[in-house]
Amino acid sequence: MQRPPHFLIKHISRLSLFALVTMMACAPSPSQAEMPKDPLDSTMWEDLSKRFFGTAPIVFDDKVRVVVPSLVENQAQVPVTADARALRDVKKLIVFADLNPITHVLTLSPRKAKPYISFRMKVEQATPVRAAALTGDGVWHVGGVFLDAAGGGCSAPAMARKMADWSETVGQTQAKLWRELDGSARVRLKVRHPMDTGLATDNTPAYFIETLKVRGSEGKALADIEMFEPVSEDPTLTLMLRLPASTINVELEARDNNGGLFQSSVPAPWRQSQAQ
Amino acid sequence: MKTWKWVASASAVALTAALTVPAQADVSIDDIVNDAATAGDIVSNGIGPQGQRYSTLTKINKDNVSSLVPAWAMSLGGEKMRGQETQPLVKDGVMYITGSYSRAWAIDVSTGREIWQYDHRLPEGILPCCDVINRGGALFGDKFIFGTLDAKLVALNAKTGKVVWSKKIDDFKAGFSSTAAPLIVPSKAHGPILVTGVSGGEFGIVGRVEARKIDTGDIVWSRPTIEGHVGSLNGKPSTMTGKKNETWKGDLWKTGGGATWLGGTYDPDTKLIFIGTGNPGPWNSHMRPGDNRWSCSRLAIDPETGNIKWGFQTTPHDGWDYDGVNEVVSFDLNGTKAAATADRNGFFYVLNRENGKFIRGFPFVSKISWASGLDKNGRPKFNKDNYPGNPKDSKDGKKGKAVFAVPSFLGGKNWMPMAYNQGTKLFYVPSNEWGMDIHNEPVTYKKGAAYLGAGFTIKPIFDDHIGALKAVDPASGKVVWSVKSKTPLWGGVMTTAAGLVFYGTPEGDFKALDATSGKELWSFNTGSGIVGSPITWEQDGQQYLTIVSGWGGAVPLWGGEVAKTVAHLNQGGMVWTFKLPKTVAAN
Repeated sequence: MQRPPHFLIKHISRLSLFALVTMMACAPSPSQAEMPKDPLDSTMWEDLSKRFFGTAPIVFDDKVRVVVPSLVENQAQVPVTADARALRDVKKLIVFADLNPITHVLTLSPRKAKPYISFRMKVEQATPVRAAALTGDGVWHVGGVFLDAAGGGCSAPAMARKMADWSETVGQTQAKLWRELDGSARVRLKVRHPMDTGLATDNTPAYFIETLKVRGSEGKALADIEMFEPVSEDPTLTLMLRLPASTINVELEARDNNGGLFQSSVPAPWRQSQAQ
Repeated sequence: MKTWKWVASASAVALTAALTVPAQADVSIDDIVNDAATAGDIVSNGIGPQGQRYSTLTKINKDNVSSLVPAWAMSLGGEKMRGQETQPLVKDGVMYITGSYSRAWAIDVSTGREIWQYDHRLPEGILPCCDVINRGGALFGDKFIFGTLDAKLVALNAKTGKVVWSKKIDDFKAGFSSTAAPLIVPSKAHGPILVTGVSGGEFGIVGRVEARKIDTGDIVWSRPTIEGHVGSLNGKPSTMTGKKNETWKGDLWKTGGGATWLGGTYDPDTKLIFIGTGNPGPWNSHMRPGDNRWSCSRLAIDPETGNIKWGFQTTPHDGWDYDGVNEVVSFDLNGTKAAATADRNGFFYVLNRENGKFIRGFPFVSKISWASGLDKNGRPKFNKDNYPGNPKDSKDGKKGKAVFAVPSFLGGKNWMPMAYNQGTKLFYVPSNEWGMDIHNEPVTYKKGAAYLGAGFTIKPIFDDHIGALKAVDPASGKVVWSVKSKTPLWGGVMTTAAGLVFYGTPEGDFKALDATSGKELWSFNTGSGIVGSPITWEQDGQQYLTIVSGWGGAVPLWGGEVAKTVAHLNQGGMVWTFKLPKTVAAN
C-alpha cells in the first residue's frame, strides 16, 4: 500500500521548518553549529558526542593524550593511560571506546588529583579509545587514538570463573603510594573483582565495581572514579594525587553493583633519602 | 555494525522506560498491616501479613471466570529457567517479582514491560538444598528487599533496581542460604523492622529469626530457635532460648537445625510474629534423645524484644524430616483468635494464637503411619515401630532397619502456602499423599556437608494421584472436598470473596475452582509447571490475576520414585497476567 504523495510533502515541509528554527536558536554557539570533524573518522562519533557531551562545546585537543600499546597481547587486559595534565582546571576526565559493546569505560573526577589515570580495559574489537576532559569553562577537550586489537575481550568469561571461588578473594586490595619531589603522590592500586560484563556466553550476570572513592585525612575527597564493565578484571589503576605532607593514610572505598563495599587503607609515608 | 545496533537499541529502551514508569508512592507500615483489606495493591507476602491469601475482590466471579484471558506475559529469560516459587507484589501499577538464581524485576503492570532487572552475582559454591528458587520480596518505603542463595539480604531502590544496601546473613559455605520472602513488622521500640529467617537445615546450621532496621539492614534482635542458644537485642546478649539440655541431651543442640527457611507471618491483633521451625539435625533421631525443642515447631515471637511468647511443637523428636516450617495463618474461629497450620507431618492444627494452646488437630492426608493421632494437648501418639531403626542395633553398626513411613519427608504439605476464605470459612490446602522408605546411618557434623544420617526414597501410595487440593474445615476437622492431581502439588493457593479458589499444577495448568464444591470453572496452560503463588488486585476498575510459571523446586531433585511422574515436565520462566475481556467485564 502506498501513501498518498501529499502526505510526504507535508511531512517534509514541517520537518525543514523545525530544523530551521532549531538552527537559528543554536546559531550563537559556533561549536554546536559546526560539529568538529572527528580526526579518527569513527562512524560512532556523532552519536557518542551527543550522548557524552550533549550540547556542550567540544574541541579536539592534543593536550589530552591517550596512550595504548602498539600491539595488544591480551584484549581482556589492554593498558591505557589517559593524561590531561597539560590542561588546567580539569573537572572530569572520561574514557570511552567507540566500538565496544559497552562504550563508557570510566570517569575520573580529579578533585585533589591530577587529571591522569592509567588502567587496563577490555576491548571487543579494534576501536578508537578516547579521553575527554571537561575544563572549568564548560568545554570538553577530546583526545584519542585508534587501538588495533583482536576481538573478544568483553564476551569472554572472567578468569575468576576458573577459580574455585572468586567470592573468597573479592575486594582484596593491594596498593602502594610513592611521594614525588613536586609534592604530589603516585598511588597504584589493584582491587580483586571479576568485573563481569554480563555479555559472556555463560550467562554470568554483570558484576562490576561502580565507584571507587579515594579519600585523604578526615575524609577529604582526593578523587572519585566511576567505573563500568569494560574496566579489566581485578582493576589495576594508577593515579596522581596532590597530597599534603601531613597525610598519614589514603583511604580507598570501592562499591560494586551488588552493594559489596570494599574498604582499605594505604600508608602514605614521607621519606626522602639523604644524599651521601 | 553489530555493536552500533546494540548501543542504539539500548538507549531507545532506556528512554521508553523513563517515560512510561507510573508515579510510585512509598509503601508505609499501614499499607502493609492493612494489605488484606486494600484490593488496589499487594504489598505483603501472604496477601496481608496474617497470610490468609484471601482477596475481597468479586469482579471475577463464578459466572465470568471462564472468560479470563491473558493480558500479557513476560519471560524471565536469561536461560536461567529453574523453579519459580515467587509471589508477586504490586504497588501503584508496578509489579515486583523475584526469580530463580536470585534475580528480581520491576514490571509495568499496564504493559507487561520490564522497568528494571537485578541479577545477583552468585558465587560458585552456593549450597541450596532444593533448587535455586526464591519465594518473593518485601516492599517498604522506597525499597524492594529480597534474600539471595549466597545468604545475603539485598535492598534495592524500588524505582531503579540499584542496590541501596546488601547484608550478609551468614556463611553460605556452611550451608546458609535465603529463599523466603522477608516480613515487615511494626514495633514500638524500633519502628518498622525487617524479619527474616535462615535456610540450611540439612547442613547442621542453627535456625534463627532476625529483625533488622530497614534503612540500613543492621540487626536489631536475633532469636535462635534451638534451646541453649542465646539471642541478642540492640547488640547485647538477651535471653536464652529454652533451657540448656532440657530436651536435648549432650552436645548436638549446637548443630541442632530448626531452620526458619520459610519466613513468617504477622498478626496485627496480637502483635505477634509467627514462624515455623524446621527439622532437627541430624535426621538420625537416635543421636539426639529428647523432644529437641524448638525444632519442628511454631513460635510466637514478640517484635519488641525477639523473645518467644509461646511455642508449639508439632513433631517432638522428629525422625522423618517432618520439617515443620509450615506457615501459621491467623483467622477468626467463631470469635476465638485462632491460627491454623498444615504440617509436613500430615496433621492440621488449630491453635489459640494468643497463647499457643491446642484447640484441635486432625489428619489432612490419608494413611499417616508414624502416629495414630494426637492427644488432648496436640502431642502425637507415636507409632514407635515407625521410627527408622537405630544403626547401632545392626550387625556392622552402619545401617539401621528401614521402615516405610507416610507422609514422605517432603510432607503432607511442603512450603506451598494454603489459603483461608472468610466466606466459606474453609482452608484450601495444597497437599501431597506419598510415603518413603527411610533408614538411618551414623553421621558426624562437617561444615558445609549434608548432615542427615539417613537414606530415603519417596514412593506414591495411590495409583491415581499424589497431589490433592483439599478444602479443610477448621471447626469440624473434616475434609469437605478434595481435587486430585496426578503429580505432586508445589504451588500456593489463593481464594476470593467471589467464592473462587486459584492454584497451579506441575503440568502448568492455572485453575479456578468453586470454593464450595471444588468444581473446576477455568483452566489455562501456562507452558511450564506452576510452583509459584497467585495474586489478584484491582487497577483502573479491572480485576487482574497474576501467576509466575516455571517448573522446578524440590520434587525433581528429591522426589525418588515420584520424580518419574514429573520427569517429562519442561522448565520455563514466565509471568502471566490475566483479566476479563472488556465485553465480559462490563456485564
